[in-house]
Amino acid sequence: MNLRLSAGPHFVARESTQTLMLDVIIALIPTTAAGVYLFGIRAAWVLAISVISAVLAEFIWQKLAKKPVRVSDLSAVVTGLILGLNMPPEVPLWLPAIGSFLAIMLVKQLFGGLGQNFMNPALLARGVMLVSWPALMSVYTLPVRVLGNTSVEASADAVSAATALIRPSAYSTYDLLIGNIPGAIGEVCKLAIIIGFLYLLFVGTISWHIPVCFVGTVALLSWILGSDPLIAILSGGVLFGAVFMATDYVTNPMLNIGHIIFGIGCGVIVVVIRKFGSYPEGVTFAILIMNILTPLIDRWTHRRVYGMVKKHA
Amino acid sequence: MARLSFKGGIHPLKEIHEGKHATKDKGIRAYMPEEVCIPLDQHLGAPSTPVVKKGDMVLVGQVIAEAVGPKGIPVHASVSGEVTGVVQKQLLHDKPSTCVCIKNDGADTWVEHAGLGSVETAPADQIIPAVRSAGICGMGGACFPTHAKMTLPEGQTVDTIILNGSECETFITADHRLMLEQPEQVVDGLRAAMRAMKVAKGIIAIEENKRNAYEAITKAASAREGVSVALLKTKYPQGGEKQLIHAVTGREVPSGGLPMHARVVVLNVATAAAIADAVTQGKPLIERITTVTGCVKEPSNLLLRVGTPVSEVIAACGGTTEEPGKMFFGGSMTGVALPDDTVNVTKANNCLVVVNKKDAVLKDATPCIRCGRCVAACPIMLNPMRLNELCEAGNLEEAKKNNMMDCILCGSCGYVCPAKIKFPFKEAKDKIAARRI
Amino acid sequence: MRNEKTTMRGVFINGVLNENPVFRLVLGVCPTLASTTNAINGLGMGAAATFVLLGSNIVISMLRNFIPDKVRIPAFIVVISTFVTIVQMLIQAFVPSLYEALGLFIPLIVVNCIILARAEAFASKNSVLHSAADGLGMGAGFTLALIIIGVVREILGNGSVIGIDVLGASFQPMLLAIMAPGGFIIFGLILGIVNSIVNKIGKRSAGKGAEA
Repeated sequence: MNLRLSAGPHFVARESTQTLMLDVIIALIPTTAAGVYLFGIRAAWVLAISVISAVLAEFIWQKLAKKPVRVSDLSAVVTGLILGLNMPPEVPLWLPAIGSFLAIMLVKQLFGGLGQNFMNPALLARGVMLVSWPALMSVYTLPVRVLGNTSVEASADAVSAATALIRPSAYSTYDLLIGNIPGAIGEVCKLAIIIGFLYLLFVGTISWHIPVCFVGTVALLSWILGSDPLIAILSGGVLFGAVFMATDYVTNPMLNIGHIIFGIGCGVIVVVIRKFGSYPEGVTFAILIMNILTPLIDRWTHRRVYGMVKKHA
Repeated sequence: MARLSFKGGIHPLKEIHEGKHATKDKGIRAYMPEEVCIPLDQHLGAPSTPVVKKGDMVLVGQVIAEAVGPKGIPVHASVSGEVTGVVQKQLLHDKPSTCVCIKNDGADTWVEHAGLGSVETAPADQIIPAVRSAGICGMGGACFPTHAKMTLPEGQTVDTIILNGSECETFITADHRLMLEQPEQVVDGLRAAMRAMKVAKGIIAIEENKRNAYEAITKAASAREGVSVALLKTKYPQGGEKQLIHAVTGREVPSGGLPMHARVVVLNVATAAAIADAVTQGKPLIERITTVTGCVKEPSNLLLRVGTPVSEVIAACGGTTEEPGKMFFGGSMTGVALPDDTVNVTKANNCLVVVNKKDAVLKDATPCIRCGRCVAACPIMLNPMRLNELCEAGNLEEAKKNNMMDCILCGSCGYVCPAKIKFPFKEAKDKIAARRI
Repeated sequence: MRNEKTTMRGVFINGVLNENPVFRLVLGVCPTLASTTNAINGLGMGAAATFVLLGSNIVISMLRNFIPDKVRIPAFIVVISTFVTIVQMLIQAFVPSLYEALGLFIPLIVVNCIILARAEAFASKNSVLHSAADGLGMGAGFTLALIIIGVVREILGNGSVIGIDVLGASFQPMLLAIMAPGGFIIFGLILGIVNSIVNKIGKRSAGKGAEA
C-alpha cells in the first residue's frame, strides 16, 4: 500500500491564485465589452496588444531568469488587461506593448515576481507612460458608437475631445453613467464597472472596504469643496481605479481597518490632485502613493493577539 | 437562542457539508476485532509498564499495564483472550511504541468490576481516582490524562466545566452520534466531573449543524443541577479550547497559559461519557466511537475496541471503493496521516478517513499574493503570512516575537490559502520549544 | 593589495573597472543623476571631476606627511575647493553652454564623495605618481560611467546621441528617462547589469583558480 504522508490540512479550499485572477478577468468583461463597443475595433487592438505583451514579457523573463514559468496563473493577463483598459483608444499601438513590458519586467519581476511588487504594476506603468508621453496618453476621443438615447453624437473618425472630467457639463448624468463620453477604454462605462464590482463582491474576491471608502471620500470631499459629488465620481477614472486597481491584493493592506484607511487616503489624494494639481485626473498617482504607504498602514493596524490577558489563579 | 462564536475562523468543506453527511445519520455499530495490539503510550506522558507476558490469558477490562508517575494511567485489555506478545511497533510516534497484542477468543468475558453508584451520590473524593484507574484520557485527540486535568494545582480555582461537543473538525460524526444516542451518559459524566472538582457550573457546547444532538442533550440536561447547553455557530476551529472558552464564557486563555488560568476546564463529550461509565459501573476505557468515512463502501460510526488495526476497521466498513492514496486519523484540518493500514486505533482516534489517489495529491505551493485570507482566518489574530516569511527565512527569534508560540496549529491559514502554501508552523513551534529561544 | 609593487597601470585600470566609483563603489550618485540627462553633460562633468581628482590627489599626496591627522579633512577640502574653483572658472570662460547646463553641480564637486574618498583612502597614503594614476583612473571610470548612463538616457529621452538625432523624427521620446525618477531607474538597471556581468566574470576566474 502506497500512502501519502503529509501534515494537515488534507483538503484545502478550491480557490487558487488562478481562480482569483480568473474572477477578476470575468469582472472586467462587462467594461471591456462596453469599451470595445463604444470605441470600436481600435480599442480591441489596444487591449489585445497589451495583454499579449504582458504575457509574453512574463514568459520571457521567467525563461531568461530560469524560473518556473507561471504564466498560467493569469496574473500577467490581468495586469495587461487593466493596463490596456487604462489607455485612451487612439494611442499608437506600440505604447501598450511598451507599457506591458514596463509593468511586468520593471515593476513586477525585478522586485521578485508575483506578490513582491510594492506598487501595482499596471498603474506604475501607466504613470511612467503618462509622464513620458503626456501628449499621446491624453488624446481622448468621442465614442464611435453611443449607447441608448442621447444627445452625444458619435463620430466615425477619431475626434479628439477633452475628458469628461474637464467639461462635465457637456454630458448628461445618463451619458456619464453609460459611457457616452471621451475617456480611457475601460473607465467610461460606469455601469459595467459597477456590474464587475458586484460580481467580485458576490464571489468574495474583494471586500467592499476599499472601493466604498475610496469613492465615498471622493464624493464627500468634492461636495465639501463645492463640486457636484455625482459628477466627481462618474466623470473620471475613480470607479475603475477603486474597483479594479486599488483592490490589488499585493499592494494594499491586510486588515479591514487598513483597507478603510487605504481607501480614504486614495480618495483624499485624488481630490487634492484634481483640485490643486496640474493633472486633470489623479487616480493613478493617488493609488500609487497609497501603495507605497501600505507597509506603514500594516504596521499601524496590527490586531491584539488572542490571549494577551493576565492569568487567573 | 443566540449562537455563540469567536473572531476569525473558516468554514471548511462547506460545499460537501463538512464531509459529515455520509455518516451523520448512521447509528453507532459495535465491531469485535479478531486481534488487537494495544499501545501503552497512547496518553501524553510516561508510557505505562506492561504487567502481562506472552501466553497469558486476559479478560476484558483487565489491567495489562500499570500507570507510571502521578500523571500516568493504566492500560486495560480491550478483548478477552491470549496475549500473543508484548512487542515494539512503529506507530505514529517518532519512536516505536510498546504494544500488548491479544488474540480475541470471541467470548468477550469481562473482569469483575463495580461502580460507585449514581453520579449524584457517589463519594466526590473517589471520582478522580476512579477516572484514573479507568485509564481515561482526553478522547478529542490530545489524550491528556483526564484525572490530571481534573486535579488542579494548589491555589488554582475553576468555576466552569465546558463539555466540548462542537466537533468542528471535518468528517467526524462520532461525538454527534454519541450525544444523540447516549445523551444521559454525557450529562452524567459532566455531573460527575462537576462534583469531583466542586464546580457549580457545567456547560455543554454544541455546534448548530448538530441540531438533533443539541435537542437530545437539552432534554437530558433539563432538571440537572448547574448544567446548561450552549448552541455554537458552525465554524472551524470552534472546538479549539481557546475558541470554545471565548465563545462560551467571553474569557481568554492567557498566552502560554492553560484553560484553568481562565478558570475553566474543558472536557470532550466522549471523555465525559467514559467518566460516567467509570463512575457508575467501574468500566475502564476499552472502546470508543470512531467515524470511518471517505472511500469506504459503508461509511459508519463504529464502536471500536482500543487496539483494533486499521485494516480490520476498513474491512468492517466493507472495504474501500477505490485504491486509497492517503488515510488519516481525525478530521481533514489537523488529522495525522497514516503510513500504512497496520496502525492500531487508540483512545484518541475519533475518525478515520480514507482518501482516494486523486484527492490525496495536494497542489504545489505558488508565490504568496498577499491576499490576506490567512490573516482574516486566523482565530488567534496572528499574521500567518508574516510568520511564514520569517520561518522560511529561518528567523525563528523574530517569529517568536510575532507570537509564533500562540499558534494553535488549526490549519485554517493553510486551508484558505489560494497560493496553496504549506505553513510550516508545527516544525517552527517544535524548533522554538526545543531551542528555548 | 596596494603595495609599492603595484604598477601605475594597475592602479589606473583598477579605477576604471574593478573599483569603478559609480558602478562598483556607488559613490557620487548625486552628480551622476544630475548630469547624465545627455552624454555631453556627462562627459563635461566627468572631465571636470577628473581634473579635480588628478590635481587634488597629486597635491594631497605631496602634502601627506605635513598635514596633521586631526585636521586632515579640512585640509583636503581646502585643496579640493581650490581645484574646483579653477575648473569652474575655466568652464565658465571656455564652455559657457556646459556651464549653464551643469550650473550648481560644478561647485558641488567639492563635496563629491569620490574626490574626498580618494584623498582619504589613497592619496594620503601613497606616492605622488601612484596618486596621480589613481586620480586619473578614478576620473576615467567616473567619466565612463557618466557617458554610459548619459547615452542611454539621451537615446531614450531625446532620441539622440551627443546631440545628433539618431532615431529619426518618428521616434517618440520617453520623457521620463531625462527626468529625475527615470534617472534613478536607468541608473539602477545599468548598475544591476554591470554588477551581474562583473560577478559572473569574477566567479569564472575564481572557478579557474580553484581548478588550478
